[in-house]
Amino acid sequence: MAPHSPATDQIDTLLWIGFIAAAIVVIAINVALFYAVRKYRSERGTEPRQVSGGRKIQFRVGAMLTAFAALVFIVSVIFTDKARESPTTGSDGLAAAKKVPLQIEATGQQWLWRYDYPNGAFSYYKLVVPVDTAVALDLVTTDVIHTWNVPDLAGKRDAVPGKTAKVVFSTADEGSYTGRSATLSGQAYAAMGTEVEVVSAADYQDYIEQLKTDIESAQERVVSQIESGNVP
Amino acid sequence: MSQKPSLEIAIDAFPAKQRPRWIELATSADHKDIGRVMIGASLGFLFLALVELLMMRLQLAIPDNTFLSPVTFNRMLSDYGATAVFLFAIPLVLGFFYYVAPLQIGARGTALPRLGQLGLAIYAAGATVLYAAFLFTPSEAGVNPLAPLTELAFLANNGVDAWATATGLATLGFIFVAIDLLTTLRNMRAPGMAWRRVPIFAWAAAVGSWLILFIGPVLLAALTMLMIDRNYDGIFFADGSGGAPLLWQHLSWIFYSGTYMLILIFAFGAIAEIVATFSGKPLFNRGVVMGSLAAIAVVGTLAWMQNMLTAPIGSGWMYFAMLMSLALIVPFGLIIFNLISTMVGGALRMRAPLLFAVGAISMISIGLAAEIEHSMVATAWNLKDTTDATAATHFALVGGAVFGGFAALHYWYPKMTGRTMGESLARISFWTMIAGILLAFVPLFFAGAGEGQVIDAYKFFSGDGVDAYNLIASIGTLILAIGIVMTLVNAISSRENGPAAGHDPWGGDTLEWFALSPPDPHNFDVLPDVRSTRPMRDIRLAIAHRSGRSEEPARERQPVA
Repeated sequence: MAPHSPATDQIDTLLWIGFIAAAIVVIAINVALFYAVRKYRSERGTEPRQVSGGRKIQFRVGAMLTAFAALVFIVSVIFTDKARESPTTGSDGLAAAKKVPLQIEATGQQWLWRYDYPNGAFSYYKLVVPVDTAVALDLVTTDVIHTWNVPDLAGKRDAVPGKTAKVVFSTADEGSYTGRSATLSGQAYAAMGTEVEVVSAADYQDYIEQLKTDIESAQERVVSQIESGNVP
Repeated sequence: MSQKPSLEIAIDAFPAKQRPRWIELATSADHKDIGRVMIGASLGFLFLALVELLMMRLQLAIPDNTFLSPVTFNRMLSDYGATAVFLFAIPLVLGFFYYVAPLQIGARGTALPRLGQLGLAIYAAGATVLYAAFLFTPSEAGVNPLAPLTELAFLANNGVDAWATATGLATLGFIFVAIDLLTTLRNMRAPGMAWRRVPIFAWAAAVGSWLILFIGPVLLAALTMLMIDRNYDGIFFADGSGGAPLLWQHLSWIFYSGTYMLILIFAFGAIAEIVATFSGKPLFNRGVVMGSLAAIAVVGTLAWMQNMLTAPIGSGWMYFAMLMSLALIVPFGLIIFNLISTMVGGALRMRAPLLFAVGAISMISIGLAAEIEHSMVATAWNLKDTTDATAATHFALVGGAVFGGFAALHYWYPKMTGRTMGESLARISFWTMIAGILLAFVPLFFAGAGEGQVIDAYKFFSGDGVDAYNLIASIGTLILAIGIVMTLVNAISSRENGPAAGHDPWGGDTLEWFALSPPDPHNFDVLPDVRSTRPMRDIRLAIAHRSGRSEEPARERQPVA
């Protein structure tokens, strides 16, 4: 993962913190285990000490473990809360999304994502969003559970039938970001991915206007063909 | 013991068994026969699970592979999950509990033997359903098949029905065995064996049985709803008419989280016995370990929503799941600390059981540490459903069920068969397995956390940057499988060829070593009064004291004769 949004910056930092915590645990346990197994062999020839426990050391170890768990918990809550903060639209962003985030509906279906833009245009597979703009994706699904997953821009979210999940992200970096759906959804699951293209606000406006006229002209062509009886 | 020859004469005086051995085994209500059949069957299914895993790893060895079709891959995945959890891990755990725990508490059998027999029969029926369906239309819905993919609208063939029937039957069987085990542990302990003196593995059996009694019916309820949905126009998990797809996730994850904990409770129970025996010391802070095992069962099951951190649930629930998951650091940490403290100051004999036990602690520590990152909410949003999760789960559960299970197998094999498993093959197998598991799953950490490779996918693409990781993982899985098969071969061949073991080959402290190897049908002719947590040691000391030989140092507490 290469973080490209404020939320994924937080996630990335927390990933490293978690990695260090996990590494400490693994190293501490395995070094102690290795030391005990190496040192206290029967070949030493000493009788095993018949001690059955120690109350004091147990309290100390218990307190240390509790402190460690509490520390990890508190740090996680802090970073998770930061990652959940709704981003705001910056100066380069879309003017219309200054107050409320740009609302786009993402619909998962076997095995494609469909995006519905505010002006009525829609696209499949590829989502185009303006740079430096808070984008709020409403995740829904028409069939089974799909996970919207573009790790560079936001955390994963499941689109569950009957529920609407929300992903809000913004990025300052133009470019193309890809990801794959992450919940088994049937035969073509492995091929179900999506692409988010981040462009300037002006390019975004042009794109969705062009998309809208293309869709409308295609629809008109179909309607006129039906009316003229020239149906394929 | 001096009476042993005369005992054998007495046994030989009984009339020879009339029926073939396999009929005796299949119709026996003896907990030892049932336990052995369950352990044997589960090891057979371990082999099948390995074959399925290898098929999937072969498909994932190179990018854009077309070795398996998507449907075949999903079928392998579904049956691998069902086999590994329901036909291998849980019956292995229960088989050992059911064989060993009654012996450890000095019982002459179980309280409700026919119930245990019924449990084995129903588990066998479940296994038969799963593999009979495998020949026709197995499930394609994955390891934990999430609704609504399992609804009739999306998977119209009978695969999911067969999966639900098989896992439901197996779970019902486990519940029956757990009831018998729990009744036995509560009512049939030897004189003087108060709960505080119950051997740690028998305590693990009690905790595990309670856990199955709680989580088993939850899964059965969910499966019943699923069957009603699919066959009687139900709407439990169907959206749009009042159903809730997330309900399945809650119910099934309660079961799977509980099973995860059950496997680790079994593993740590067995490891604790082995570490204490091979150190020649009592378990360090026994009471704390007992309490920690119970805490893991409760808190670990309450952490079920740790599996749902990307689902649309309230953020309060996410923090609750994280709190429960991270709280597990304390009991797991205390157990591992006390296990290592038991070794410190001991006189370790590095035989195969201890080797596997130490390996199990090490592998479980990697898996549990990796789970820390899957419990921290924001990191879970990144790591969930990546191969990082596959690796974390497999380190903990292969560490618990395979390494821990093999430690238990090597430890109690002499009791079950009268022969010890081959030591050199055990060592080769152990080191092969260690190399295999590290090569198989460490690369998946990098592929999942670094490159975001998603879970359960039938292929990956050449541009994903995970080619090398997956190739190494496939080779590692093959090495792991070879190592596991070596131990299975060792277990089969040692039945005839292993060096003969006495009734107490390891110098154990608990009462199963007081019985013959293999034990008589009634387990014990006479039972000692239990006066400590180490009754077998008391007996050894008493014999040494009486015969005037001073095997133990003089500063030892005098045993109660």
